[in-house]
Amino acid sequence: MEFVATVVILTCTYALLASGIAILYKAGRVVNFAHGEIAIVGGYVFYSSGLMAGGSPWFAVIGAVVFSVITGAFIYVAMMRRVVGEPFYVAILITVGIAIVLKAAIIVIWRAEQVTIDVGVAPAIRLAGGATLSYMDIASIVLTIAFFVVLHLFFTFTRLGVQFRGTAENALLASQRGVNVNLVLSLAWMIAVAAATLSGVLYGGRAFLGSASVSIGLAGLTAALVGGLDSLRGAVVGAFIVALAQYLTVRLIDPVLSEALPFLILLVVMSVRPWGLFGTVEELDRV
Amino acid sequence: MARAGTNLRTSYLESNEVLRRPYQKLLIVLVFAAALILPFTSSDYFLHLVNLCFLACIGALGLMILTGFCGQISLGHAAFLAIGAFTTVVLTVHAKMPFLLVVPAAAVSGAVVGFLVGLPSLRFRGVYLAISTLAMHYAIVFLCTSYQANFGTSASAGITIADPVIGSLRLSGEHAWYCFLLVLLTLVTVGCVNLVRTRPGRAWMAIRDRDIAAEALGINLTRYKLAAFMLSAMLASVSGSLAAYYSNVVTVEGYTLDLAVIYVAMIIVGGMGSVLGGLLGAIFITLLPYAIDSVFELLPRAWRFGSTVFGVQVGAVGLCIILFLLFEPKGLAEIWRRTETYFDRWPFRYRPLDSTRR
Amino acid sequence: MTTQLFRRSIVAATAIACVAGFATARAQDVYKIGYITDLSGPLAGSYTPTWEGFELYIKTLNDRGGINGKKVDVVLDDDGLKADRAVAAAKKQTERDQVVGIFGLSLSSTQGPVYAEMRKAGVPVVTTFSGIGDALPPAQPFSYSTGVVFEIAGEAIGELGQNIKKGGKVVGMTFDSVGGRAALAHNKKAVEAAGGTWDEVIFPISTTDFTPFAQAVTEKKPDVVVGHYGSGQNLGVIPALRRSGYNGPYVVANYGVTEDTIRQAAQRAGSGQNIFYVTRYSSSFDKNPSVGEVAAAQKKYGTSKPFSSMHVTGWALGKFAEAALKSCGWPCTREKLDKTIQTLKVDMAGLTGGPIEMSATDHYGPSYWRLYAWDAKDNAMEPKGAWVKKGAQGFK
Repeated sequence: MEFVATVVILTCTYALLASGIAILYKAGRVVNFAHGEIAIVGGYVFYSSGLMAGGSPWFAVIGAVVFSVITGAFIYVAMMRRVVGEPFYVAILITVGIAIVLKAAIIVIWRAEQVTIDVGVAPAIRLAGGATLSYMDIASIVLTIAFFVVLHLFFTFTRLGVQFRGTAENALLASQRGVNVNLVLSLAWMIAVAAATLSGVLYGGRAFLGSASVSIGLAGLTAALVGGLDSLRGAVVGAFIVALAQYLTVRLIDPVLSEALPFLILLVVMSVRPWGLFGTVEELDRV
Repeated sequence: MARAGTNLRTSYLESNEVLRRPYQKLLIVLVFAAALILPFTSSDYFLHLVNLCFLACIGALGLMILTGFCGQISLGHAAFLAIGAFTTVVLTVHAKMPFLLVVPAAAVSGAVVGFLVGLPSLRFRGVYLAISTLAMHYAIVFLCTSYQANFGTSASAGITIADPVIGSLRLSGEHAWYCFLLVLLTLVTVGCVNLVRTRPGRAWMAIRDRDIAAEALGINLTRYKLAAFMLSAMLASVSGSLAAYYSNVVTVEGYTLDLAVIYVAMIIVGGMGSVLGGLLGAIFITLLPYAIDSVFELLPRAWRFGSTVFGVQVGAVGLCIILFLLFEPKGLAEIWRRTETYFDRWPFRYRPLDSTRR
Repeated sequence: MTTQLFRRSIVAATAIACVAGFATARAQDVYKIGYITDLSGPLAGSYTPTWEGFELYIKTLNDRGGINGKKVDVVLDDDGLKADRAVAAAKKQTERDQVVGIFGLSLSSTQGPVYAEMRKAGVPVVTTFSGIGDALPPAQPFSYSTGVVFEIAGEAIGELGQNIKKGGKVVGMTFDSVGGRAALAHNKKAVEAAGGTWDEVIFPISTTDFTPFAQAVTEKKPDVVVGHYGSGQNLGVIPALRRSGYNGPYVVANYGVTEDTIRQAAQRAGSGQNIFYVTRYSSSFDKNPSVGEVAAAQKKYGTSKPFSSMHVTGWALGKFAEAALKSCGWPCTREKLDKTIQTLKVDMAGLTGGPIEMSATDHYGPSYWRLYAWDAKDNAMEPKGAWVKKGAQGFK
């Protein structure tokens, strides 16, 4: 029973990260290598906002939301928009640069302290065998499902969501039809950063935040690649596969391998079906 | 002869020239003269920094050829360095081979690994290639960690290697290493410059710009892509091997993904697509943390300690990548070229009408 | 043109500042020593307080007037847990700053290269924490350690663990590193020699989510679990173990784990029961008067990290440094310092179980280890049992 619970919770973390990467790729054709760092910094911001208000979780939520909006908009407006016509690697390398700067921010602003987010850590459910699930664990699952439902509704039924899908398919055409492409892309970044922040907060609640925690970004990237870089459905499926494989490796094979495992999965998927399970079959040239 | 402009060439041979103008030849002579005088006028510490720069230059030139000239994004450079270092360990500790055999052997092992890592490049491009090189990085680091763990007793801090001995000379101390590395780097640079201005270089640049068209022109993609990977890995392997001899200790913990990103930063900052850029970028990024240290040393003592300085050093590399990509995408080499053209064209200000000069 | 001019002047000013910094000189007539450690990297949480403890001791020493009237000046450098930065810092300190000895250092991977380089330069290096085998007999020249050498720590913990439960099943955890594996190997030896059974779980270095590993450990139904890693990992492992259903004894091996981390972990896990701590230097909660001295200095000067046994460790190193410099005399040279360290027997006055003694072949000396239990009610450490002495022979 605890096996199922752990894998589900791990899937949620990776799914949130992978969905952010998928949104960014779909909208702007950018693979974001800084996603793990954004998640962890978001978690730290949540923690600090909570501290500033004397431990109130609501203030922390507001802080995290503000952070998402500002960071997402800033990254797009100041950096991504300026490199639109350049070769693909420029945008990717900028995200790599952002990753390093954010890691430095953790050291400078938060002194690389390892922090835990202690909201709702009391055990809520007792499972067979003595293991417990805390409120935070349950919240992880609930919030992730809610996030995906909201996202789906947004893309399908709202006007802005439809404009989003239009921009993703063909930005030039969309802008000629009156869609404010800049707004849409900034929004894409904000949503992606928000998803990452949520993931970081849940992670901080389950494990802890420190400068080494940023490795979840690579696992999230693997999940996105496995599922297909531009598919949200793929993000969830890919996250499940990576989470399951990691867990099984630790329990059944050899715990030490679990770090290298996402990449082994990746190599397999890429040799067999490079565009991922649900990704659109495209010439790899487009990347 | 009238100075008809900076880039009018009248023969094919002329277009292949490296040093076109007399002042460039003079500049090279001056640089060498300075390089020869340097060991006699500087402290051991300064020479140590210069030696680190030289080692980085060799590695960076490898990556410059692969990414800057051939256009294959690779995040696996740290793994190649590790291969060089660990080959050195295996050969010196178990086979007791001398320095002059080990370094070429490291180059060969680098070439083999480069071939393997380069195989996905025949299938993927772009981000997918970068990801597969990343996967290879982790695989290689895992192998090296297992090797080090099973090495023996007190290997908790790395494996020690003795100083290299060439004939009856022992290569130890900053001055000896400086001379050796200077000669080696010169050879490597000249080799790379020549490679790049002749057929392989042009083939690589064609692949970088549009590989489908290159294939249509008759360039064998397989051969040239794999050659780029192998050469890059070879240079990195040699650099790693020499670094192992230089610091006398090899430990796998130093070969992280961050190191690979630092090398990528070197070629971005230097300017992709030029050998000079590779050298400038390597020197800039290697000296950056020390320069930041120096700047902070001017501040009152109370400010200096604590995370701020050190966080800045970590973030500086990232910041450099972003700023250079946004504002100076062609890197330090472009700044150099601008200065060159400014003086070359003086007292005229404007660009010539044909802007084929890059 | 003005924006360009502005940009260029910024670049020029920065360039001048970079070069100018290289040329700054320093005052004379002081004892100059160097300290290199990780102040910004992944393990800064453990190494920064150790440095702060050292700094506190030196500040207190200088307030007393220094050593025979001469103050001690410490040159601090960060290595970010990178071996090449550590070596470059060591070279800078020996050439530019003219230090007579280097102290501190950080993780094992940085120590080997620094030891090797400084051996060539003839500069004594005294490390604290995560020591490597260079200082164990037969010791390498110029390499000393007052810290926690993995092999010895593993055995000491194995022995002390028997005080918690004799002859039971012990599961050891560590991260995949050469030092960790060495510690586990020696822990296993000690456990099996005492009649217990052993199993182990090793995880990748960069793990931060320990849930699956904790479940793997719980599945093995251990009587005692021992963790050989630093603060961060303990912060993750303890709650993960409790959540997976293991509520038995857990021993924290002090490779830089602060009491504050244990408090945080206990709070996370919901209960601080059954947590133990094995350390070479006294915990900050120890009622010993020497520890009280450190606490007083910490209150007086303030530190950025909460008071912990890391500060005690750094303070102990400072005490050792003072004894070494004092015995070296004035003027002190590197060779003199090296020779004199080999003759030292420094009374630690309760900071650890006995004096630190070194000799020509043994640059580590006997070490003393103690078991503490975490008291969840008072959020404090209670010592359990006396100090156990471990010699340094026979580990190489």
